[in-house]
Amino acid sequence: MKKNDTILKNIFNVVFPVACAFVLGGILIAAIGENPFLTYWVMIQKSLFSVDGLLKTLHFASPLILTGLAIAITFKANIFNMGVEGAAVLGGFFACVVGFTVKGLPTVLHIAVCLLTGIVVGMLFSLIPALLKAYFNVNEMVVTLMMNYVVVEIVKFLSQGVFKDPSSGYVSTYPILDSAMFKKIFNSDLTVFFFIALLVFAVMYVVFKKSKLGYEIKAIGKNPEFSEATGMRVKNKIIIIMLISGAIGGLAGSGFLMSEKYRFTMDFSGSPGLGWDGMLIALLGSHNPVGILIAAIFYAALKTGSEYIGVFTNVPKDIVGVIQGLLILLLSVKFLNERFRFSNKIRFLFKKSSKTDFNK
Amino acid sequence: MYAIETINLTKKFGDFVANDNISITVNKGEITAIVGENGAGKTTLMNMFFGLQRPTSGELIVDGKKVAFNSSLDAINCGLGMVHQHFKLVPSLTVYENIMLGAEITRKKSPLIDKKVEKKEVQKIIEEYKFELHADDVVENISIGAKQRVEILKMLYRNVDILIFDEPTAVLTPQEVDELLISFKELKNQGKTIILITHKLREVMEVSDQVIVIKRGRIIGSKATKDTDAKEIARMMVGREVVMNVNKEYKDSSKNKTAYSVKNISTKNNSGKKVIEDISFEIKEGEILGVAGVEGNGQSELVKVLSGLMVATEGEVYLYDKNITNKWPDELRSSGVGIVPEDRYAQGLCKDMTIYENMIAGYHSDDKVCKNGIMRRNEIEGLSDGLIEKYDIRVAEKNGNVSQLSGGNAQKIIVAREFDSNPNVLIVSQPTRGVDIGSIEFIHNKILELRNENKAILLVSSELTEIMNLSDRIIVMYKGRIAGEVDGKKATSAQLGLLMAGMAAD
Amino acid sequence: MSLLSSILYDMVYHSAPLILAVLGGLFAHKANVLNIGLEGMMLMGAFSSTLFVFLTGSLWVGILLSVLVTLILGLIFSFFGITMKSNFIITGFGINIFVLALSSFILKYMQMANINVSSIVDVTGLKINIPVIKEIPLLGSLLSGHTVITYLSFILIAVTSIVMYSTKFGVYVRVVGENEEAAKSVGINSTTVKYAAVLIGAALCAFAGANLAVERMALFTNNMTAGRGFIAIAAIYCGQARPLKSSIYAIIFGLAKSLAINLALFAGPISGLFEMVPYLMIVIVLFIVSAVETRHNTIRGFKLE
Repeated sequence: MKKNDTILKNIFNVVFPVACAFVLGGILIAAIGENPFLTYWVMIQKSLFSVDGLLKTLHFASPLILTGLAIAITFKANIFNMGVEGAAVLGGFFACVVGFTVKGLPTVLHIAVCLLTGIVVGMLFSLIPALLKAYFNVNEMVVTLMMNYVVVEIVKFLSQGVFKDPSSGYVSTYPILDSAMFKKIFNSDLTVFFFIALLVFAVMYVVFKKSKLGYEIKAIGKNPEFSEATGMRVKNKIIIIMLISGAIGGLAGSGFLMSEKYRFTMDFSGSPGLGWDGMLIALLGSHNPVGILIAAIFYAALKTGSEYIGVFTNVPKDIVGVIQGLLILLLSVKFLNERFRFSNKIRFLFKKSSKTDFNK
Repeated sequence: MYAIETINLTKKFGDFVANDNISITVNKGEITAIVGENGAGKTTLMNMFFGLQRPTSGELIVDGKKVAFNSSLDAINCGLGMVHQHFKLVPSLTVYENIMLGAEITRKKSPLIDKKVEKKEVQKIIEEYKFELHADDVVENISIGAKQRVEILKMLYRNVDILIFDEPTAVLTPQEVDELLISFKELKNQGKTIILITHKLREVMEVSDQVIVIKRGRIIGSKATKDTDAKEIARMMVGREVVMNVNKEYKDSSKNKTAYSVKNISTKNNSGKKVIEDISFEIKEGEILGVAGVEGNGQSELVKVLSGLMVATEGEVYLYDKNITNKWPDELRSSGVGIVPEDRYAQGLCKDMTIYENMIAGYHSDDKVCKNGIMRRNEIEGLSDGLIEKYDIRVAEKNGNVSQLSGGNAQKIIVAREFDSNPNVLIVSQPTRGVDIGSIEFIHNKILELRNENKAILLVSSELTEIMNLSDRIIVMYKGRIAGEVDGKKATSAQLGLLMAGMAAD
Repeated sequence: MSLLSSILYDMVYHSAPLILAVLGGLFAHKANVLNIGLEGMMLMGAFSSTLFVFLTGSLWVGILLSVLVTLILGLIFSFFGITMKSNFIITGFGINIFVLALSSFILKYMQMANINVSSIVDVTGLKINIPVIKEIPLLGSLLSGHTVITYLSFILIAVTSIVMYSTKFGVYVRVVGENEEAAKSVGINSTTVKYAAVLIGAALCAFAGANLAVERMALFTNNMTAGRGFIAIAAIYCGQARPLKSSIYAIIFGLAKSLAINLALFAGPISGLFEMVPYLMIVIVLFIVSAVETRHNTIRGFKLE
């Protein structure tokens, strides 16, 4: 019985913020004189209610599943790794470089080499904040945020310089060779990359739910001192977790490049970026792999649908970003407490005095 | 007219009734002791007196007036002050800043605090009550006894007439306790009303005029102290006859093999200051070595070093003849060192994880619960169920979180986990802190059982009676060093008290 | 201007918004509410000040409205973080992403790539040239020719120190952060203190944003704060949330930015890489500060922050 309650509570804690965010987003749309219902309808219809749209949604969900998992594994251990964005960009960039410089490889091998490059680059990138955190207790959040900016400058420099495709009108690298591209399956948008993402999801499901590492990640996230005292070697675990996160982030970037963009441009990751989308997805999915899968598809649907709203309305597609921000804001709160009631604080809003303290 | 009177005061937390229709009276100018086991509801009652919690129903009458406190400020303004068990002081501020907190004196026509005047005011009140304190000292550098005096002055400065003391002697040396009891009598002579919350009966018998016993949120009885005795009160608290001393037969273990030896261990804290220095001792098989001392004299650092949570800068530790200096906690456990850590919820348990998950912590890499990196769920549950039964752990829901357990049952999880792993050496720190009497007896018996199985046990505790009841030998720590060693059979609390205060025992 | 004097001038120029964000952030930090939303609040300041100047045609009305809007943002953060006890790191990121998206949403809706208010605001006219001092080489470029908010930011360092260490409010902020129970036990309303700390931060971030956008360039471009809010957090960390010390770190980061810009002119082909110097330097400074802090560390493991 109690377990069902917990699940219901968790669902409410996700559904309620989602509903709130859409209502607030709707108010904003109405404020600029557009019809929110039409806007949302266009988004859903184009992304979920047609086969083409649905496949496109799944295609765009692939990197998001990965970045969501990459964020979740660190957030669950209470490590605020904001470097997934940087790992994805860097992984995408170097996969691209390998994609157009290495010639004469058969397709499968070339794809594998490119993905591996992305993974290794992502891991190396994450190793820096991991070592700094593990050995010197340097705040990983600030470090990874700063390193994201460093990454942007490095790839900007390289794609404006040595790797610039002179035939392109704007800053862009050469396109990757045919042998490094994920091919569309049956003329849909879907590629093998989606199935790679699913495979990673399956592995991470086992890691989160069944493995010793998953047990230790949970413990570290809830109480690092306890984890150290019970012999979990938190230092090593932080490095391992960050490496996994970086690898998945790098894979997300390289796969996205090889299945969608084919060349690296400065807006490769989008705004606000794959890594930031991953943060929302991890939160929406409550750091739970199945939740992340659902959240990634949901959010990919929003993004896919947003491409079409410009055709039917005057709402800028940035509305998705606004809803994303609102969602993160609202998801940071647990609206229901353990006892399946609205948290005390909300109830107190309706009472006169709220000074009562429950520090028993 | 009573100083405090309550009529059917009730406090509920959800479905849990912490205080059930409490009706008591506290006489003016007297010392009233409120006694009860851990979790009996004493602290909740006091929090209502002091405005930290609001009653669900019932009335609170102070000085004949019905009151409803919204905050502790309201209580203070009504003349009620409280000295908390965990001091409500700000370590980085000075003594006078702490005393003046919330009542700062500012310069005329300016928002700036007038530190000079504040200091003078505080000096005045220190002298008035003849307390040993310096207004200028920073609170984090003063002794625990001094911190308590700051807390008392903080309340006295606010002109309170009723002082509530929550477990005031828990952290003091026997001598400091005596001094505090003298201060109680002085405060009483000055006309103050004192409410003393405690579970230590000696103090109750010595200073109080009235005793109120509370159990499971209800009042069991209220008596004039002169009409009762410690035995009767203890029976009222627990609901049955209590054996006040553990029956322990002494065995000579001096000829046994040395199981555990610590040689010249020292370590520093993060600011580079030595916190333990040159600690050496040996423990024989079948021996309990007690470590006594006032909190903050290096015991907790010693336990951390020995349990792999802190690095020793000098010295060595041996398990039989194996060097285990600075090994990590997992290495220590796998080589046969069981660890019951000092802070149950910081190091011993993870409140937000299930009982099953906690029951294997520290031993979660063992083959019987984990194979090829995958946790074996069925084996874990089977193992835990066995331990829950064997150690009589009362759980409502085995798959629930540890946070739902009482202190005693939570502690038993650690005890079960560590004792049952068949260690050669056990490091046991504060095993019964905040634990009910039934669990205390159980844990003490388990410790003795293991001793009789020839294990070597290091017992660190700030409860002097616990140390004296269980240990074969006792070492006392003072300022990070071993101040002296006493035979467990002959030790007296006066003798240990002197060592704890840093005075050599001769 | 010589190279050295332009480095000095740019140092002050780039330090000012950082200092404001640092001073704003450290009240919340001292009160134990880590405000990751500084970045978003600063961006809100930059965006709304330019927008309101654009709409009202008046510089000071625009800035005033911008402060109000950013205070609302601060209230939202406080409500979630303090009243609703949210995970305020996440709340802060929510604020950041929300403001970023909202500003680009509105820009797109207004069909503008950026907001240019140079027809309303005369940027050179806002610079205050101090007579006599401006003639002195080096010192002149250090002290003269800056804007009102820039001067204000440096004055506020001293004001913040006094508020923090010599007034009731400052003491309460520190007490709430260090031992909230102690504050409550003598009747200090810790919630109010925390709200106030966050709101001060929001107001100062609004000024920082206004300084960055309107006052210096009369221009708002998308995501123009470029991580300055996070840089401020790094400075607060390094300076242990002490007003002067943290501000000095802010100035060091301002200097890094200034050096990157001024030296890039001489770097030829690799000048593009100089942009990353300030960010890289923050990582290095954080590393050094933490390495010094942990040099005596004997404790294994991590504590929940």
